[in-house]
Amino acid sequence: MVKITALMVLKCRPEGSDPVILVNASDLSNFGFFQRPSVKEFIVFVGRTVAKRIPPGQRQSVQHEEYKVHSYNRDGLCALGFMDDHYPVRSAFSLLNQVLDEYQKNFGDSWKTVQDDNAQQWPYLSEALTKFQDPAEADKLLKIQRELDETKIILHKTIDSVLERGVKLDSLVEKSSDLSAASQMFYKQAKKTNQCCTIL
Amino acid sequence: MPVKSGNSSIRDRTHEFAGITERVKKSFSSQNGPSSSGSKPEEPPRSAVAMQSEFNRRASKIGFGIHQTSQKLAKLAKLAKRTSVFDDPTMEIQELTAVIKQDITALNSAVVDLQFLSNSRNESGPVSSDNTSHSTTVVDDLKNRLMSTTKEFKDVLTLRTENLKVHENRRQMFSSSVSKNPTNPFIRQRPLAGKSAASTSAAPPLPWANEGQSSSQMFPRNQAEGESQPLLQQQQNQQQQEMVPLQDSYMQSRAEALQNVESTIQELGNIFNQLATIVSEHGEIAIRIDENMEDTLANVEGAQGALLKYLNSISSNRWLMIKIFFVLIFFLTIFLFFVA
Repeated sequence: MVKITALMVLKCRPEGSDPVILVNASDLSNFGFFQRPSVKEFIVFVGRTVAKRIPPGQRQSVQHEEYKVHSYNRDGLCALGFMDDHYPVRSAFSLLNQVLDEYQKNFGDSWKTVQDDNAQQWPYLSEALTKFQDPAEADKLLKIQRELDETKIILHKTIDSVLERGVKLDSLVEKSSDLSAASQMFYKQAKKTNQCCTIL
Repeated sequence: MPVKSGNSSIRDRTHEFAGITERVKKSFSSQNGPSSSGSKPEEPPRSAVAMQSEFNRRASKIGFGIHQTSQKLAKLAKLAKRTSVFDDPTMEIQELTAVIKQDITALNSAVVDLQFLSNSRNESGPVSSDNTSHSTTVVDDLKNRLMSTTKEFKDVLTLRTENLKVHENRRQMFSSSVSKNPTNPFIRQRPLAGKSAASTSAAPPLPWANEGQSSSQMFPRNQAEGESQPLLQQQQNQQQQEMVPLQDSYMQSRAEALQNVESTIQELGNIFNQLATIVSEHGEIAIRIDENMEDTLANVEGAQGALLKYLNSISSNRWLMIKIFFVLIFFLTIFLFFVA
């Protein structure tokens, strides 16, 4: 299953200095209890490294073991996502976009002055982490495509049943025409018995 | 010989038509065979020449062939609609397509022959206007049916190609993200002169000298959107870290997805149209069923009236019979009295 392991927002200064982590949210349920701190350290370290290397205004994806780190740098504000290989790249970047927009809405420009790591708390990020485990949530296009496919399947079934209905209607037409012929014979018989012989 | 042998998909209203003609004959007592509805086959005139029956036989064969072809076409349409990415009856579809094409060409030539025959017959021998109109009408009808069958065939073929295209796209979408990774390391090592052709994604000029990929043709376009394409990165000296060059740019994948969505919506619209057509046909069928039932109702009511009259006459006559009997017995007793 596709999974997001961590989401981070960093402030990337121009080359030469380490980026400052602004917000960090991670879902480490896959790892054992004793591995979690080391994994957290590792995430922080990799995040800082990747963010340092990314030129402003661009998107990148880095592959590390079985994870992909997607990073998006916009005017010095970086969003990073640690996802597994199956998470579609497009949804990852649209998710990062959304995160950055939300962050700027919430915090305005105050991040520019922050110097220390993890100085801010942001519950939205952890909510986003759980919500966007399903890539369709993040990427509207995926959602639309999925719904359209379902609709197409339903329509195919509808057309099949309508064709069946057509077959049944055909049989009904046959039966009703037979019925009409039989009733006509009945009528003629009745008229014949009426006219032909007088009472025996 | 009317063209109706084996055509179960065609409504056979010959007997209705025959009833109408009888009625008209009775009311007007004029010549029979009004050619009012040209699409219904008429009774051949009693003075049928041998060629007339030959013509009719041929026409009926052609009609039967058209009907068979349209049945096969329906099967092909079902197969084409039902193809999925994994369960593709390509061989059957292709066989069926070839067979249908052959049938259609054969029927085409047969119809042309038939027309030629009717024309030649019209020039020689006694010409009656009913004959000529009948033959031309039949030939036109066959031609129209053949044309509609060919059109349906074309529709089915387009549907099948569209399906194939959609499957190819889907397959590419899924396989591209899997197959890109193994090829990437190789591409990274090579001098990237060849990359500029493959990569329609633009990249601003890099400070890294490793890549020569600085084609920025699309850079203005991307700047306009405010985004830019992902790049290749330098290989780092960290253990087990490998940069994945994003061959397909973000924008490209978005555009692809949008196109997919658009084509899906178009297909949906098509399906809805077909649904509407089918349902309107059903409406017409339902109206005919209704007419039949009304006829039945009228017949049964008439029959009931007739039977009631019969019953009345029977019962009243019985009364009369009894009276006559009594009168007879009365006379007999008087007669006996006189004699004895």
